[in-house]
Amino acid sequence: MRKRTLKRGLTGFWWLTLTFLYLPLAVVVLFSFNASNSAATFTGVSLRWYKALLGNEQILSAFGNTMMLAICSSVIALCIGCLIGYGMYRHRHRKLGWLIVLIYLPIVLPDIVFGISEMMFFVQIHRLTGLLQPGLLTMIISHVTFQIPFVALIVYSRFVGLDPTLFEAAKDLYATPVKRVVHFMLPTIKPALISAFFLSFTLSVDDFVISFFTSGPESATLPIYIWGAIKKGVSPEINAIAALMIGAVAIAAILSLTMSRRRQQ
Amino acid sequence: MAYTGVTVSARSRGMVRESRHLLFTVAPGATWIIIFLVLPGAYLMGVAFMSNGTYGLPEMPLSLESFRRLAGFGFLGWSPGNLYTLFRSLWQTLISTGLVVIVAYPIAYYITTCREKWRPIMLLLVVVPSWTNQVIRTFGWMNLLAPGTPLSSLAEGLGFIPPNMGLYPSNFAVTLGLVYNFLPFMVLPLYAAFEKLDIAQVEAAQDLYASPVRAFWHAVFPQTLPGLLAGIVLVAIPAFGMYVIPELLGGGKGMMLGNLVAMQFSGGANWPLGAAGAILMLIATFIGLFAMRRIGKRLGGGEEVVI
Repeated sequence: MRKRTLKRGLTGFWWLTLTFLYLPLAVVVLFSFNASNSAATFTGVSLRWYKALLGNEQILSAFGNTMMLAICSSVIALCIGCLIGYGMYRHRHRKLGWLIVLIYLPIVLPDIVFGISEMMFFVQIHRLTGLLQPGLLTMIISHVTFQIPFVALIVYSRFVGLDPTLFEAAKDLYATPVKRVVHFMLPTIKPALISAFFLSFTLSVDDFVISFFTSGPESATLPIYIWGAIKKGVSPEINAIAALMIGAVAIAAILSLTMSRRRQQ
Repeated sequence: MAYTGVTVSARSRGMVRESRHLLFTVAPGATWIIIFLVLPGAYLMGVAFMSNGTYGLPEMPLSLESFRRLAGFGFLGWSPGNLYTLFRSLWQTLISTGLVVIVAYPIAYYITTCREKWRPIMLLLVVVPSWTNQVIRTFGWMNLLAPGTPLSSLAEGLGFIPPNMGLYPSNFAVTLGLVYNFLPFMVLPLYAAFEKLDIAQVEAAQDLYASPVRAFWHAVFPQTLPGLLAGIVLVAIPAFGMYVIPELLGGGKGMMLGNLVAMQFSGGANWPLGAAGAILMLIATFIGLFAMRRIGKRLGGGEEVVI
């Protein structure tokens, strides 16, 4: 008896928490279809804010920057992180404490400390040498820095999960190290590489603080544009662009669910 | 065939090859992190001990001026503003972490009681909001808590806030935003702990007529402690350095340490002061990590704490 009331209470609490989690997102999506430009009352359904987006060059260029940043940084981080992940696995019997510390450093550092130290560093380098002007390049560099550890850890854990005798077998099968990499290593860690790439991509699109501090005047990403618009005073167009980003996340969530389902079967 | 003539020189040649391999795989990433994170970090530490020059850029004579400023000593004597900010950061971290724990425990437990095929979907439902950009989520709360919205009117009707004020900007809004932001980071490790829970201990406690509270405290809590500690690390450390949420939801009276630091690099530029604030944040981070590791080890769940 008592168990059943407990279960019912928990179910209620679960739905309450879900409401709490999705309410802010739902409000943004709802008001993106608002006919008037009021942020407090919903007057009718219209697509005018979405139409306004298409004509807004700042938003389009911010979208381009976001994609460019996410793709470039993820690809670079994938290459570098993958190497580290394999190195950590192959040499796991050595004392690599310093490497572990180095890899965890970008993860544990508070965003803001990360962002301002990068910013100060880039500004001073630019002052001294003229290189690394704040812009897309500096943003890519800092994104790669925080993505490397995640890639390395994912690849490392995939290698650890493999049967060590596989490596011996591959050594016997394929004569050259290059062939071993192409025919054995890359195919076996492919799932890890895919999930590492998507994680890096999401981390990059999600990041605001580090991008904000390392960006230049021409390299605003969508989050930076939205931030600026909020600070200037809320414009309903933000609801539309934010709703589109929420939609992208929803699609990603459904994709990841169906992919994990398929893997189970 | 290669193994027939193992000599000392062959072995050492092997070791050289292994070392070269290690260098080849690890060096690019390690160098990258050293150049683009360790070096800037070292520069940040250096700047904190320099004096504030024109345009807020650091200048040479080394001094502890920025730390004095951080403690509130300015040109006009001592003022408590910065210390308030510091205490507010600590307080907000404490309150929001506590609230997150209170909400996450029942949720994590509830997910484990549901049928196995639903669990991944339920976990996904909890996590998905955190995949959207932090700025957008916080913007959603601004829309919800602004003056004139149903939630604000309700709070007004109940007499919690003066009329036409709205629930944001306020410290309450910051706490809410922090809880919202970090809830998934607590649910995931707690869920992992609950999944491994030895239910026999709980049943034994119930058979011995332990009250639910005692059953929880003696049978459930110790078993989920590693997950709880991991969750606290994942929540409290980023919460202490939070910038976006207090900036958008807090207003001037809701400022936290992150905002104080960021301010020194934009409007009222003073790099050394900002760097000193960042060092404070780093110290808090490492104390937190160290403390959690110690507690985790003492309680025997050391390996399970993620960091």
